[in-house]
Amino acid sequence: MPDFLDFKGKKIFVTGAAGGMGQAVSALLAAHGAHLILLDRNKEQLDVTRIGLEGSDHTSYVCDLGQIDAIEGLMSQITKEQGAVDGLVHCAGIANVRPLKLSKYSYMVDVMNVNYFSFVEIVRCITKRKAFNPGLSIVGICSIGAFYGAPTKTAYSSSKAAMYAAVKCMAVELAEKGVRANVVAPGSTRTGMMEQAEEYSAGTDSYKQKLSRQYLGICEPEDIANSIAFLLSDKARMITGACLTVDGGKMST
Amino acid sequence: MTNEEKLHLLEDVFELDENTLTPEMVLADIEEYDSMSKLSLIVMIDDECHKKLTGEQLKEFETIQDILDFMG
Repeated sequence: MPDFLDFKGKKIFVTGAAGGMGQAVSALLAAHGAHLILLDRNKEQLDVTRIGLEGSDHTSYVCDLGQIDAIEGLMSQITKEQGAVDGLVHCAGIANVRPLKLSKYSYMVDVMNVNYFSFVEIVRCITKRKAFNPGLSIVGICSIGAFYGAPTKTAYSSSKAAMYAAVKCMAVELAEKGVRANVVAPGSTRTGMMEQAEEYSAGTDSYKQKLSRQYLGICEPEDIANSIAFLLSDKARMITGACLTVDGGKMST
Repeated sequence: MTNEEKLHLLEDVFELDENTLTPEMVLADIEEYDSMSKLSLIVMIDDECHKKLTGEQLKEFETIQDILDFMG
């Protein structure tokens, strides 16, 4: 029986590859034959991800995506060295919590740069002629935070809502090039980001209440990776501009 | 940073009028010292003192003086 998710011969670019979701999706895609181009600012963890992958032809690049002006040059270099790509997964992101009264412009810009502007800039570069193969599929990691209010998350939730709005526009604009663009919106997922958030809020009533509404429980990074892989694959060839929530049912109430 | 400057920062974080905090005040007696203020305190100390305050360290604070000491 053929592999349902066959990525043999496909080149897929994964940002934030050193983090929980980036690592999980990289492992899954490599296991199904993809050649991966990994990117993260954390070289040490990036090496851990790359070394642990099936296959030996994966490459990695170290870059801080908060430096938006550096992205275009890096993308040109990657295209020159790796050739056209078949997929992009943007896992890079920061999930800091910060009360509104301390969310100054400089902080908002930092969050928007990594979570939103870097995504748009990468998509802009990767959808240039010769940078992608026919059937390019783009998947951004959004958040269910894009759809509901929560204290201390003005920057984070705004950046994720902006990503989803951008993806809907990209889907329409890039359809004639045969490019698809979607987002996956995870609920609470067992990653380093979640541990960080828990350090300050684990005991609070609002946090317990939030988790209690995730009816199927906490997501694992592999749950998110499965959805990303589906959207990247040809099996999702008629899906574009969509948001796939992976949240244990939280958005259903 | 002087103690006076630190106290002003804390008054701002707890949304209190100026000159209402003193070092010997017990945190448990300050009504405004709630979960949002605690998170604000972590962020303010990171921004202003470039120090990371963990949840565990936060729990050990008993008085305003403890916070002032941590701020350095």
